[in-house]
Amino acid sequence: MFDWLDPYWFLIIGSVKAVIIAVAVMSAVPALVWLERRLLGRFQVRLGPNRVGPLGLGQLIADSIKLLFKESIVQSSADKFLFHLAPAIVVFTSIVTFSVIPFGTSYELGGETVGLWGANTNIGLLLFLAMSSMGIYGIVMAGFSSNNKYSLMGGLRSSAQMISYELTLGLAALAVVIMTGSLNLAEIVNQQGNIAGWNIWYQPLTFLLFFVAGIAETNRAPFDLPEAEQELVAGFFTEYSGMKFSMFFMGEYINMITMSALVTVLFLGGWHAPVDFLDVPIIWFVGKVFFLLCVFIWIRATFPRIRYDRLMAFGWKFLLPLSLGNMLIYGTLKALSII
Amino acid sequence: MFDLIEKYWNAEWEPAMVFELFNQGLTLGVGFTAILAALGVVACSSPIYSALYLIGHMVCLALLFLLYNAEFIAAVQVVVYAGAVMILFLFIIALLGAKKEDLKLTDITFEKFLAGSFVGTLFCELLMTLAVGETRPPKGEITQEVLQQVGSAKAIGLTLFSKHLIPFELASALLLVATVGIICLAKFQIPKIRRRSE
Repeated sequence: MFDWLDPYWFLIIGSVKAVIIAVAVMSAVPALVWLERRLLGRFQVRLGPNRVGPLGLGQLIADSIKLLFKESIVQSSADKFLFHLAPAIVVFTSIVTFSVIPFGTSYELGGETVGLWGANTNIGLLLFLAMSSMGIYGIVMAGFSSNNKYSLMGGLRSSAQMISYELTLGLAALAVVIMTGSLNLAEIVNQQGNIAGWNIWYQPLTFLLFFVAGIAETNRAPFDLPEAEQELVAGFFTEYSGMKFSMFFMGEYINMITMSALVTVLFLGGWHAPVDFLDVPIIWFVGKVFFLLCVFIWIRATFPRIRYDRLMAFGWKFLLPLSLGNMLIYGTLKALSII
Repeated sequence: MFDLIEKYWNAEWEPAMVFELFNQGLTLGVGFTAILAALGVVACSSPIYSALYLIGHMVCLALLFLLYNAEFIAAVQVVVYAGAVMILFLFIIALLGAKKEDLKLTDITFEKFLAGSFVGTLFCELLMTLAVGETRPPKGEITQEVLQQVGSAKAIGLTLFSKHLIPFELASALLLVATVGIICLAKFQIPKIRRRSE
């Protein structure tokens, strides 16, 4: 009866996958907030949230409900349309960015091959860079439309920072692409295999560059200049409240998850287990991402925020030449067919 | 386009056509959005909205590329134009403070008439492409099968570095000259010429 559907199954499967991924990523955010607060508490020798429910797990439900029901204040001098559009863009782009991440191999399901990824395109890495550069617009719009000096400064700062570090991010990723010869993320994972083949052993400097640029790209401490409290109140989302405020948070945390997932895919062998016989689908991928998220939080607890001019000098005068040289070396090695 | 409508008008209804029609409708919708956004760039009175419309237009173009299976060009369109170039536009507008301008679309000067007639002619020429009909598959050595095999990034790279090597290298030299020029303009100040009388 449904024979006519045969050539179009990929559309239906794709839509289902899209819904599942979007819901999963969005519902991971409150858990991540809880994890961060608990871990930060431990890092600072205090307890963190532990009153609501077992281990303080009820806190995440309480927080979500509070944010949903808070009054949303829009000041009269704001540019209303852009003010409402900005948080939507931030969340939308961060979810779309996650769609290129592969988190498992493909399986046969009723005659159809279903891959555990949103989209396995030939330009996976480029699509990631494109979508993450679109996310900047949400921040600039938020800063501009609030009609507030702090917001504007925060928005401009953050976009300048993201543009600067995107170069390093792209060039570092390019070194991996030169080695594997593919922009397809699933193929990059497949080439790595178990622990001996992980790219981090072959490209330790690239890993470091990518990770540092990734922290700056997600606006996390020690590069959280856009929301530097003592200078800018809260940066670009100073004027936001209620759910719109929390949507910026959501965007930041989803970006964090995506960045960890991308580091896993590019350098830590994706869904492959360290040794072959331990291979369990998805678990290893989630475990690696979880570990990297903890590293993100650990770094936030450890390093103080750096000054803005230092940040720019560090990005342009140190990281960029280094990543260019790094790419040049791997390009030469590839041309001599050593790697 | 008209024969396309005719084709669907006369065709026997079958359920699979839902998807086909959806695809065609999507292409049409994105195309119209692109045109509307382009109109918004010209007609909008506040510069920040003009820039935003331009971004929207570029994103629509990227979507069109994507719908025609040119993934690489779509990604490059977003990275370079919508991502890098337009953010600088927005930067400058936000820094200089955007003021709304009084646009009087009604009073027609000679320049406006000239520009309008030029654009009108171009638009009429564009309309003539309607007679071509359905989009045809790519011709030449890069066929659909080759594209499926190598991925469009590789296909573009192969042609760029073999057939079009000299124009490509010339363009890269041009970019290098422009970069050096920008650094010179931004960095060095020309010392004053010392005159004897001083």
